[in-house]
Amino acid sequence: MALSQPTENICSMTTQELTQNDPISNWYPVANADDLPFRHTFHGKLLGQEIVIWRADDGNVNIWVNRCLHRGVRLSRGLNNGAELQCQYHGWRYANRTGGCTYIPAHPVDSPAQHLSCKTFPAIQSHGIIWSGISPEGVPPKLSFLDGLTPLNLRSLPAKAPADSVNEHLSKYMFHPDNQTDGEGSSLVTTKAYDNYFQITATVANSTSTLALFAQPVDEQSTIIRGVIGVPHNSQNVLTVLRYHNNLMCKLRDVIEADFELKSKISNTFAAVSNPRSATRNIANNSGSVSFLKVRVARKWSTAKDVVGLELLPIGNQQLPTFLPGAHIDVFLPNGITRQYSLTNGPGELDKYRIGVKLEQVSSGGSKYIHETLSEGSIIEISTPRNNFPLRRDSTRTVLIAGGIGATPLLAMAQVLEKQKLNYELHYFAQSDEHLAFPEILNSLGNNCIRHFGLSVEETLAKVRESLGEHNSSENLYVCGPGPMLEATRNIAADLGWPDESIHFEYFKNSKIVSFESSFEIELARSALTLNVPAGKTVLQILRDNGIAMPSSCEQGACGTCIVKVLAGQPDHQDVYLNDSEKKRGDKMLTCISRALSNKITLDI
Amino acid sequence: MIKLYDFELSVNCYKCRLLMSILNVDYEIVPVDFYPGFKHKSDEFKKINPLNHIPVLDDGGYVIRDAHAILVYLATKYDSTKRWYPIENPELLGETASWMLFAEGTTNTASAARLNVNLGYDFDLEKVQEGAHKLFRFFDEHMWFRNRSGGKWVCDSEHPTIADIALFPDVVLAEEGGISLIDYPALRLWAERMKRLPGFIVMGGIFPASADRIN
Amino acid sequence: MSWSTMPVSRRGLVDTAINGEGCTDQVILNQWYPLAAIVELRPGISYQTVLLEVEVGFGVTLNGELIAWRLDCVVIPAGNPLPAENFTDKLLVQSAYGYLWTSLSAEPKELFSIPETNEPDRRSINVATIGIATSAPRAVENFLDMGHFPFVHAGVLGAEPHTEVFDYNVEIKDGEIIATGCKFPQPQAAPSSVGAIVTDYIYRVPHPYCVLLYKSGGFDESRLDVIGLFIQPISQERIRASMFYSCVDNISSDTALRRFQLGIFSQDKPILENQVPKRLPLSTTAETPIRADKSSITYRRWLSDLGVTYGVISAN
Ligand code: FES
Ligand SMILES: [Fe+2]
Repeated sequence: MALSQPTENICSMTTQELTQNDPISNWYPVANADDLPFRHTFHGKLLGQEIVIWRADDGNVNIWVNRCLHRGVRLSRGLNNGAELQCQYHGWRYANRTGGCTYIPAHPVDSPAQHLSCKTFPAIQSHGIIWSGISPEGVPPKLSFLDGLTPLNLRSLPAKAPADSVNEHLSKYMFHPDNQTDGEGSSLVTTKAYDNYFQITATVANSTSTLALFAQPVDEQSTIIRGVIGVPHNSQNVLTVLRYHNNLMCKLRDVIEADFELKSKISNTFAAVSNPRSATRNIANNSGSVSFLKVRVARKWSTAKDVVGLELLPIGNQQLPTFLPGAHIDVFLPNGITRQYSLTNGPGELDKYRIGVKLEQVSSGGSKYIHETLSEGSIIEISTPRNNFPLRRDSTRTVLIAGGIGATPLLAMAQVLEKQKLNYELHYFAQSDEHLAFPEILNSLGNNCIRHFGLSVEETLAKVRESLGEHNSSENLYVCGPGPMLEATRNIAADLGWPDESIHFEYFKNSKIVSFESSFEIELARSALTLNVPAGKTVLQILRDNGIAMPSSCEQGACGTCIVKVLAGQPDHQDVYLNDSEKKRGDKMLTCISRALSNKITLDI
Repeated sequence: MIKLYDFELSVNCYKCRLLMSILNVDYEIVPVDFYPGFKHKSDEFKKINPLNHIPVLDDGGYVIRDAHAILVYLATKYDSTKRWYPIENPELLGETASWMLFAEGTTNTASAARLNVNLGYDFDLEKVQEGAHKLFRFFDEHMWFRNRSGGKWVCDSEHPTIADIALFPDVVLAEEGGISLIDYPALRLWAERMKRLPGFIVMGGIFPASADRIN
Repeated sequence: MSWSTMPVSRRGLVDTAINGEGCTDQVILNQWYPLAAIVELRPGISYQTVLLEVEVGFGVTLNGELIAWRLDCVVIPAGNPLPAENFTDKLLVQSAYGYLWTSLSAEPKELFSIPETNEPDRRSINVATIGIATSAPRAVENFLDMGHFPFVHAGVLGAEPHTEVFDYNVEIKDGEIIATGCKFPQPQAAPSSVGAIVTDYIYRVPHPYCVLLYKSGGFDESRLDVIGLFIQPISQERIRASMFYSCVDNISSDTALRRFQLGIFSQDKPILENQVPKRLPLSTTAETPIRADKSSITYRRWLSDLGVTYGVISAN
């Protein structure tokens, strides 16, 4: 080293022993804040776990297991579009914050199953460092020595040595407090604050300087050394300081690596995954199906005439579940009434839910209660989002037709199309300017949002006709509004040659009451197996319990993913996916929800 | 029209295609069955390049070989702004030249590893991988400090140079040679920036970046 | 004729052979594997490679005879002349579809047939043989997959926003997987095609590590091009994959055909090398299949049923 060796009387080291020894519960630095510029996807690793780190346009930092749920491709190879991360292989999209899968391009009309979520890790940014951990407790270290100074993140250095041996050396890191001078001894005070964290103060005469060094345990063989130092605000010699420490630390790294005498060759992508078996286990958060959660009304405001907007925030550290554009939630009001409202959130906007509530003239107490009684700060219960109005993202043109408050689900859709730069237009029909809900969202859509005011019925229909035009393949229409308008739009579209499959209405969830009470047998023709489906279990569950892979998505009888051929026996459909004639034929059923009317049903599996 | 004797999967050929695409130069590809045909070793190809390697560029009868030389030629001739090969700025030109030489090193290590792993070329894999890591460590440090002082490109200039082009595929395709880039965050950032250059084109193994800030 | 003047390198491969646990999977040991395209071998010269973690020498003698042997029995360094006289301990070899095939077993399962290749006006070539850091089953599964066309082969085999995978049929017939009725809209399905067309495909998996694809090349609608992926497993997580192409296209040159197919091949490679884990997980809960993955679901189940353990992570 260039610094003279500290002599006995000027080098003192204080070591604070720490109780935390379980690496699972520690916070570790995993990246520097400036490693995550606009729409970058960062590949990292902590304690042998590969992670992908990406910052969404709203500033939120996501840290996930670096593996697509579908076929295991590293998500760090994917694209950060600002609100969702897209896998490179088949384009699956995952939402900011939750890691929930929001779109599967191979099946544009299906809603991905609610439990499809990447495993996420906590992320906190402080002192220019991104902190994470496997299941960290408390908060990342607070570096109070930086108070009143500008934190400067040193260049991080990967070292081919395990964290233990790096730590031994880090505690002896020597530098001069002016952060540029070689060759003069300085007195060091080293504080070991955590297992992998040292705070070192160098003093010469009256000048002192403190820095913190961290060892990020990458895996058994490698460690990343990270550091942060405080410099006076508006310091002119930032680069000098950074170069000074980079030089010293590179030398230190050489010492560390030589010391460790690593025999195996430098990091090699061909190295086998340490334990392939464990890597395949449980890559999805299996948090399950629809459930309920409590939220706080954080904001209530008038967004249009007779329409209030509500912002609903999770309570405590909970994360709101993923939603798909067009999704709605059930709101359980304290007065015992339940109402459905569509989410108006943009993609990846999962710090809050936002809904719009119109005061209905004949209100049986739902909208009236919200308008008159519900106040900011109230706690209410809602269901997790139900995604029954899925948006295809494979259209060459998407036309959204909104009437009045019916705009809300279409606002969510428009924001996705806007972000993804797809070709679309939103036609919003309203009485007047002051009847337009969520004008701030509309403004963000630019010219793709076309506002129509105060048109008569005939004028409205003429406008709809004009906006739709002839149908070309891969064009889709989504319409939401008052019943008569919906009906009329549908007729006009049909008249213009828009095929049924291209016209989408919101059908609220499978609102039929579904019964799981029957018990029956299923015979699997191809597998030569007979299984019993007891009351309370679905065919899908029984198949999976017996190791038979069966794709599924909504698991509410709405998407058709889990369909099978019925070879004999009579199905009890209960779904909303098959049309009446299909149901009558009885040669197909949805394993998530359909049961048998006969004692036994034979499936082509 | 310009003719490029080209093999789709060759990093050196790609460097030429990339610069021509960025400079909006029209050219025609003459495919050479480099692998598995080994046609560049044929007597026929010897007439085009006595050294029997690709790429070779033929610009209306003027024939030039070697990717890095071709980059110099193309930039000098077809970039009227004189930014890609800054012949009017001696310091910057010197810097560009030294990084072009550095790129010879990455080609002989990182890209050699790729040839060994993909096509079975007879290189000492461990040695070339190690060599590549040594160069990448240095290069990553350089790029980190370039970023920290507001620079975006390899040389100390506002605009990229042919050194960026010469280094880019060696870095991005290194993982095909078993050289992980996980330890080189500054190189990954720079590579992403390269992918956002107007006129950027891909080759097998190189994917485009996500959309840029312009929304 | 042109051949590689360079012996297939064994450097970098040998490590795997030494460090691996070896293959004990009888199903896999009992198969034929391609080592090289015969036209690319220089007669009279020895080559070396690794098959299922065993070092193997091979070549074509000056009389045109194909040979292969275990290097631990007979040592002839790569690039040396092949001995004129016969030696014992040879492995079984055969020539099929232009490749030299061998097996580590004395009684391998019969190699599948591709009847189309007998048609006299057909041209068959080895597009290329490429090393990939993945398992053989991951590569086969990728070859069976259509959903990735618009993302991985953008502008060639697919293009956004047309991403939907329509239903198709998969069945197991005579011990092979057959997927029919597969359709995908493609901007440029073959080197000779101009403009987008909906392309029909038939897939066939006749061997745990080999897969074939039949599609119209656009010259004669009734005659299908055959594209094959034949894999030489080096170890559980490294392969050399040979791409076979047989067509009735009489316009495109070999070089043009190769360039086109190799371009596609090279786009899949980084995907395969970034799949974690490299071995194909057979457990139904390890990854998330969707309807479009019917053929992959069938392939995984078929491997399980065959009892394959090499290159996969068994379900148990
Ligand atoms: S592996 Fe990620 S989308 Fe298929
Ligand atoms: Fe592919």
